[in-house]
Amino acid sequence: MNAPSEVPALDIRGINKTFGGVQAIFDASFSVAPGTVTALIGPNGAGKTTLFNLITNLLPPNSGSIQFFGQSIGQMAAEKIAALGLIRAFQTARIFPGMTVLENVAMGAHRLMKVPAYRQMLLSSAARREERDVRRRAEMLLDIAGLHGERNRAASDLPMGAQKLLEVIRALMAAPRLLLLDEPAAGLNDTETAELAAMLGAIRDGGVTLLVVEHNMSLVMGVADQIVVLDAGRTVAIGTPSEIRNNRAVIEAYIGREDG
Amino acid sequence: MHQAIQIAVGGLLQGCIFGLLALGFSLIYRVTAAVNLAQGAFCIFAALVTSSCEQAFGMPVMIAGLVGVAATAALSALLGAAVFVPGLARLPGSTMFILTVGLLTILQGASLVVWGSQSYTLTTFSGERPISLLGISIPTQGLWLIGVTIVITSALALLLARTRMGRAFRACAENPLAANLMGIGVRRMQLLSFVLAAVIGGIAGIVIGPITSFQFDTGGMYTMFGFIAAVIGGIGSPLGAVVGGLCLGLATQFAAAYMSSLFSNALALSLLLVILIWRPSGIFSSGPARRQDVRDEPRIHRAVIRLGLRRGLLLSAVAAAGLLGALPWGLQSGGLMSSVVITAILFLAVIGLDVLMGFAGQVSLGQGGFMAIGGYTASILAVRYDVPPLVGTLAGIALSLVCALILGIGAMRLRGLYLAIATLAFGLLVDSLTVGLENLTGGPSGLVGIPSFSLGGFVFDTPLRNFYLIAAILVVILTVLTAGMRGGFGRALLAVRADPLAAAALGVDVRRYKIGAFCICAALGSLAGSLYGFYFHFLSPEMVGTPISFQMLAMLVIGGEGTLFGPLCGVALITLLPTIFQPLAQYKTMGSGLLLILCALYLPSGIFGTAITWLMRMRPERGGVLAVRRSTP
Repeated sequence: MNAPSEVPALDIRGINKTFGGVQAIFDASFSVAPGTVTALIGPNGAGKTTLFNLITNLLPPNSGSIQFFGQSIGQMAAEKIAALGLIRAFQTARIFPGMTVLENVAMGAHRLMKVPAYRQMLLSSAARREERDVRRRAEMLLDIAGLHGERNRAASDLPMGAQKLLEVIRALMAAPRLLLLDEPAAGLNDTETAELAAMLGAIRDGGVTLLVVEHNMSLVMGVADQIVVLDAGRTVAIGTPSEIRNNRAVIEAYIGREDG
Repeated sequence: MHQAIQIAVGGLLQGCIFGLLALGFSLIYRVTAAVNLAQGAFCIFAALVTSSCEQAFGMPVMIAGLVGVAATAALSALLGAAVFVPGLARLPGSTMFILTVGLLTILQGASLVVWGSQSYTLTTFSGERPISLLGISIPTQGLWLIGVTIVITSALALLLARTRMGRAFRACAENPLAANLMGIGVRRMQLLSFVLAAVIGGIAGIVIGPITSFQFDTGGMYTMFGFIAAVIGGIGSPLGAVVGGLCLGLATQFAAAYMSSLFSNALALSLLLVILIWRPSGIFSSGPARRQDVRDEPRIHRAVIRLGLRRGLLLSAVAAAGLLGALPWGLQSGGLMSSVVITAILFLAVIGLDVLMGFAGQVSLGQGGFMAIGGYTASILAVRYDVPPLVGTLAGIALSLVCALILGIGAMRLRGLYLAIATLAFGLLVDSLTVGLENLTGGPSGLVGIPSFSLGGFVFDTPLRNFYLIAAILVVILTVLTAGMRGGFGRALLAVRADPLAAAALGVDVRRYKIGAFCICAALGSLAGSLYGFYFHFLSPEMVGTPISFQMLAMLVIGGEGTLFGPLCGVALITLLPTIFQPLAQYKTMGSGLLLILCALYLPSGIFGTAITWLMRMRPERGGVLAVRRSTP
């Protein structure tokens, strides 16, 4: 783990969210150290995806503060947050239909493209160079992911698993500082899950901080540096995998109280 | 005071008409979440059939009216089953909108072929003598109108609220898939709502028939006002439809009486724009807003067509060489050269529309309005103030950009079809201003004596010179836009169209991109309008009016959205074909409507896109087309 003095990649303090009368998130607080993998686990309906939506401001929180590398992002528009390098993949892959696989990946680089549109239109050499670099990087990532052969197909023609993978590659294309993944292993078989675990490790080693919602416990125990357990909107436990494995509250949340 | 009451009665009657028209919109929207712009055409169809039955077979007006309603029901059932319902199953919302524009066009075109362009009226139901009530005279037909409005509105409200069918209707609206699983025949309900709305429209048309005269294209106007009334009242709510209609009727009548009849429409449209921005769901919003985003997602099925850079350049070079070199000499004599110039100018405006619709996925029904702004600004400056054409053209573009920004910032806050509605209102507003500001624009008879375009002393005064001018502009614009659309800008627009939320999560400022596309669209429309005026030396409101906006939509869809070059096919087909084969001219409107419907349903990438796909598939190894997706809903 990193030194405690370091500015956390993500620092969440006292977040609340209610839908009508239902409190979906109750006073959630935790932080994510840079360069680590944090897993967010909890039973269905615990509020994991809601928390993701609050962090990326697709939903506005009722109260609390969210800091991204020391910068407050609680009131920021979703696209501004993304522009800072906080990128997410959705639970059901939201690839862009009507665009090719390569274009989908290239789209990830949007926040990094600095040459203004009018210079693109005037065919400036800077714009062409930028576009060439984006395409080269996109092809490289597709190659690593084994999707290079599909690069010119319509993205919506890919099978579901490949679409999820495509979304992760697209997110990586944005060179995220913090990457949020929502159930990346859902629907994958054991081999694919093992590959995913290796990939998550590689992403972290590449310097990207990860916050992952995941149900697959063997995956979580294998890659996570820190685990945050959410139950019915409350943070039940925070700790390392081995601490969580032996935590009573966690076992209760998942299995129920032994004495009924 | 007496006069005011008399005007109020007039407004009330007018309001009943608008309300009845709006009811149809609300009913269909309620059940299918689509806006059926063909609604007004059914009114006129019913009235025309009734009139023929009266005159040709000597039927009494009531019997003839029943025949008219029956004919409308039959026709709408046919069109609904063949076009509207199949469209709902596989087209995204914006294309549905255009599909109904196709229905409107085809109905108007067919009416033109059958009934010609003269105007008709019907016999009053119960005598010509108006009834005098406390000194206020009301035509008896007005009482019929009020009665019919009350009966139909209450019947519809009862139907929706109390009957099994009404519940089924509402279930289809809330969640079609779940409704289907519950055993409700969603497609049957959709068809039923379509026919029911057409029948209401038909009855309205027949009851109004004796009060106002009508001709083949009056339906377009009825559609506009019915739609506006529905939006003002809150689309989807029957009560809102009638209230919206009454508000609109009273506002236009009072404006006509106390201000100027020329500006009554302008006032109605300003009212609409204010309501759109201030209270987007209308006065009576119909419950929770429809979840457009959720519904649209599975229905996006666009073909992915990408021309490789080399092939693209080759194709453009060949096309440019062909156009620039061969055509002019072949066509120098006769009127064909002139049609080619018109085609090129309209192509310019439709390219703009393509950036907005084909890439950003927004619908504009006001491209004619931007043509009018560009055309009139440049022409008026040139005629009355001797401003050089180039400066006037630039001034027109600047003014258009200001309008586009205001409209865009107002309408882009909202999802779905609000830009379409706002641009429609804008286009109609410009229409009524070009007619109304007679001192400035020359009014309905048009502005004459516009000079030719000139640049540094060189005057573009022959069709051939104009052709070269516009061809040069087209080459520049197409090069610039192709570069923009192939790069990050075009990619971001496509992403915004495909999934705005996911685009935002990657850092795309969705609103800014939509407004950017809208500005490009407006600027090109304005440029085309200016060139139009300089070429014809004359500009009248109907050359750049709302019907032209609709026609340009048809051209775009027929040619192929999202292809930049494709619209040329559509523009050429609709503009040139009737010129070459004169006997076809009569069928032009009907033909373009038919083509629009066929393309929207069966060729989602238009003629150009389909041709390219087909061409490239023969030699796929050369890597021209990157991918093709069949339309599976």
